[in-house]
Amino acid sequence: MTPLLEIKDASRQFGGLHAVEGFSGCVKRGERVGLIGPNGAGKTTLFNLITCFTPLSSGAVFFDDADISSLKAFQVARLGVARTFQNLRVMPNLSVFDNVSIGALGALGHSPWAALFRRHNYANDIGRRTWEALERAGLQDHASELAANLSYGKRKYLEIARALALSPRLLILDEPAAGLNDTETAQLGEFVRQLSDEGLSILLVEHDMNFVMSLCERIMVMASGRKIADGTPPEISRNPQVLEAYLGSDEEAS
Amino acid sequence: MFDTFFVQQLVNGLSVGLIYALMAIGFTLIFGVLNVVNFAHGEVYMIGAFAGLLAITQLSPPLFVVILIALAAGALAGFGLERLAFRPFRRFRDEASLKSKAIREATLLSSLAVSIIVRELAEKIFGSNMQPIPQEYLLLSPVQIGPLTFANGQFLIFGLSLVMLGGLHWLLKHTRTGMAIRAVANNPIGAAYVGINTERTIIATFVIGSTLGAAAGIVVGLYQGAIFPAMGFAPGVKAFVAMVMGGLSSIGGAVICALILGVSEAVTTSFFAQGWGDLVAYVFLVITLIFFPTGLFGGGRERV
Amino acid sequence: MDRRISIFILLAFVLVALPGGLALLGGGYWFRVVTTIGVFSVLTMSANLVTGTTGLMSLGHAGFYGIGAYTAALLATQLHWPFFLTLPAAGLVTAAIGILLALPTMRLIGIYFAVATLGLGEIIHVSLLNWVSFTRGPMGIAAIPGISIEGLFSASDIVNYYAVALVAVAAMVVLGRLTHSYYGNALRAVREDDQCASSMGLNVVSLKIQSFAVACFFAGVAGGLWAHTTGYISPADFRFSESILILAMMVVGGLGSLPGAILGAIILLGLPEVLRPIGDYRMIVVGAVMFLSILFLPRGLLGETSVLTVVRKQFGLAWDKNLNLGWRQ
Repeated sequence: MTPLLEIKDASRQFGGLHAVEGFSGCVKRGERVGLIGPNGAGKTTLFNLITCFTPLSSGAVFFDDADISSLKAFQVARLGVARTFQNLRVMPNLSVFDNVSIGALGALGHSPWAALFRRHNYANDIGRRTWEALERAGLQDHASELAANLSYGKRKYLEIARALALSPRLLILDEPAAGLNDTETAQLGEFVRQLSDEGLSILLVEHDMNFVMSLCERIMVMASGRKIADGTPPEISRNPQVLEAYLGSDEEAS
Repeated sequence: MFDTFFVQQLVNGLSVGLIYALMAIGFTLIFGVLNVVNFAHGEVYMIGAFAGLLAITQLSPPLFVVILIALAAGALAGFGLERLAFRPFRRFRDEASLKSKAIREATLLSSLAVSIIVRELAEKIFGSNMQPIPQEYLLLSPVQIGPLTFANGQFLIFGLSLVMLGGLHWLLKHTRTGMAIRAVANNPIGAAYVGINTERTIIATFVIGSTLGAAAGIVVGLYQGAIFPAMGFAPGVKAFVAMVMGGLSSIGGAVICALILGVSEAVTTSFFAQGWGDLVAYVFLVITLIFFPTGLFGGGRERV
Repeated sequence: MDRRISIFILLAFVLVALPGGLALLGGGYWFRVVTTIGVFSVLTMSANLVTGTTGLMSLGHAGFYGIGAYTAALLATQLHWPFFLTLPAAGLVTAAIGILLALPTMRLIGIYFAVATLGLGEIIHVSLLNWVSFTRGPMGIAAIPGISIEGLFSASDIVNYYAVALVAVAAMVVLGRLTHSYYGNALRAVREDDQCASSMGLNVVSLKIQSFAVACFFAGVAGGLWAHTTGYISPADFRFSESILILAMMVVGGLGSLPGAILGAIILLGLPEVLRPIGDYRMIVVGAVMFLSILFLPRGLLGETSVLTVVRKQFGLAWDKNLNLGWRQ
C-alpha cells in the first residue's frame, strides 16, 4: 500500500532563505508520525507546504496517490487533510458550535441556494456533523458559548473538533501540547491515540519529547530546512546527528 | 528635438505632481509610523489654503508670512487630528493582533468621520463655493523662458517643494526626531525599548506630515486663485494613490509616483476633457492594487 | 414557527400600521421621508452583507447604487420599460458589473480592498459624470416615469411607499435567509479569519464574489427605486459621500445586523428630518454620530454579536441536536 501522504523533495524559498530544502518523507495509512526539530527548522513551513497554505518552490506532495502540489488550500482540506495551528486560530467572536460548523461547511460545501431555499436535509447534515465532532472532542456542553470565553486548553480541543468536522483522513497537529500542563498533555495524548485507533492518520509537530516519544510510531527530524533523520523513537533518541542538532539550540531534549 | 508642447505638459504635470508629492509624504509618514490611513489628510490641505486666505483678508501680510501662517495652521491641525481621531484608539495597542486589525479599521472610520465634520464646518463658515484669493497675492503672471511659458506660481511650487523635501530629508536623516520617526516606523516596540518616546514621535509625524499638506494647499490656492472647502478630497486621494504605487513604506517611491501621476493627469487633460483627468488617479490605483501588490517600487506589503 | 409569525407582524406593520400612522401625521411629506429611509435601508442592508457579515469593507457602494439607478432610468426613458422590468434589470446589471469589477480585487484584503472599492466607486462616478453622450453627464436624467401600471394605479407618494416597503421586506427576507444560516457562518468565517477558513475547506474567493454579487444586486434595485420614486437622478447622488453615509448607517446600527442596518438608516436619515432646524447640518451629524459610535459603541447599537449574546442569555437557547440548527431565530 502506498503511503497516505508522500512528500517528494519539497523545497520552499523566501528570497535567499531556504525554509525547507529537499524534504522527502511520508505518512503511512493509520500511522502516527511526529516531526521534531529545533526552532526555525522549517516545521510549520513544511505543514504549510503540505496543506498548500504556501506554494511549493519545487518538489511535489502526494495525498492518496494524487498530486496535490498545485491545488488550493481549501481543495486540499476537502480531500481530507485537516490541520490545527500553532497559534490557535479559533474565531473568538463566534460560538463554539459555529466554529466547529466551519469544518462541516468545508466538507459539505456552502451553497447559498441551500440557505435561500431552506434545504433542511443540508442543514441537518451540517448540524449532525458539527455535533458529532463536538461530542468527539468533549465540547458538547460548551456549544453555545463564545469561543473567546473558552479556556486555553479547551480551545485546543475546539481546533481539533473543527478539524474533525471535515472528516479528514490525515490530521496535522501543530504543537498541540504547547502551553498545557502534564495532566492536560497526557489527556491530549490519550485523545490523539484514540483518534488514531479509529483510523485517522496523524502527523504532528511537538517540542515536548515525552509526548512525541510515547505517542508516535515514527519520528522525522528536521534541522535548517532539511530532514536529518527518520526512524522509530528509540532509533531517533540514539541518533548522534539529532543530538547535535539539538545541543546547538536552546531547546531541551527531555 | 524637444517638442515644446510635450515639455510644457511635462512642466505642468511636474508642478501638479509636486503638490501630490507633498501630500503623499504626509500620508507615507503617518502610515509608516502607525500603519493606518489618515483619511483626514486632505482636510489639512484645505485648512492650509483657508488659513492663508484668512491671513490675507484679515492681516494683509507679505507673501512669505502668509505661507508661514498656513504652515502653522497645518501643524496645529495635524496635532489636533492626532489627538482627536487617532489617539483614543491606541489604548488597545497592546492587545491581541486580532484587535489591532479592528482598531485599524476603526481609525480609518474615525479619521473619515473627522474629515467629514471638518469639511462640513468649513462649508458652513465659508460657503461651499469657490473663494477667490485677492488679486495682489496671485502668482499667475507668466514668465517666458525660451519657448516655454511658466507661471511664477510654478516657480514657487518647485522652489517650496524642493525646500521642504530637502528639509524633510535633513530632518529624517540628521535629527533626533527624524531618527525616532524612522525607528518607530521600523519597529515600534523595539523603539520603545530603547527609550524613544513613541507618543511624541507619533505627534511629531502628524505635525510634519500635516505641515507639508498645508504647504501644498496654500501654494495651490495662490496658484489657482480660488479655493473651496471640498478641495482636499481629490488631491488627498491622488496622494494616497501615489503612496500605494510607491509601495506604501517608501517616501522616495511615493514622490516619484506622485510625479508620474501629475504628468499623466496633465497629458490626459490636454487630450480629453478636464473631468477625465481625475479618472487617471483612480485607474492607476486599482491597477496598482491588483497587478503590483508590492507597489511599483517593491516596498513590500504585509498582510493585515 | 415563530419565524412565520414575525414576518407576518412585520408585513402587517409595514403594510398597514405604518402607512396608517403616517397618513394620520399628514401624509405626503412623511411618506416621502419614510420612502427615502426605505431605499437606504435596502442599500444599507446590501452593504451590510458585504461589510458586516463577510467583512469586506466597501467604500464604493454608492457607485453600484448609481449603476442601478442609471440602468433603470435609461431603460425607462429610452426603452419605455415598466418599473417591474427595470428594477430586476437594474439589479442584474449591477450584479454583473459588480462581479466583473470585483473579480480582480478579490485577492486584496482588509484596507487594500477598501481602497480599491473607493477607486472603483470613483471611477464609476467620474464615468457617469463625463460620459455625457450616454448618461447626459451632470445634467442627469429627468422625467423618469414613476411606479405605475396603466389602468391599475398611477404614481404617487403612497404607491412609492408601498413599492419601496415591499422591496425592503423582500430584501430583508432574502438577506436574512442568507445571513441566518450555515451559509452565513461561512461568510462570517471569511470575515473572522479568511486564511483559516480556507484551510478548513471553504472556497473563500467564491464566497466573497457571491456576497458581492448579491449586495450589488440589491444596491442596483435600490438605485432603480430611487430613480422611479424621485423622477430625477444625477451623478451627484452617487458620490463618495453617499458611500460614507451608507457606511455610517452600518456603523451606527451595528455591523453584521440587518435590523441594525435599518435602524442606522432611520437614525441618520430620520434624525435630520425630525430635527428640521438643523437639517442643513446633516453631514456634520453623520460625521459626529459615526465618530461617537465608533468610540463608545464599537459594535454599534445592534451589532451582531451583542444581539446573539443577548438572545442566548435571555432565552437560554440550548443547542439541542434535535432542533433544526441551520435556521436560527
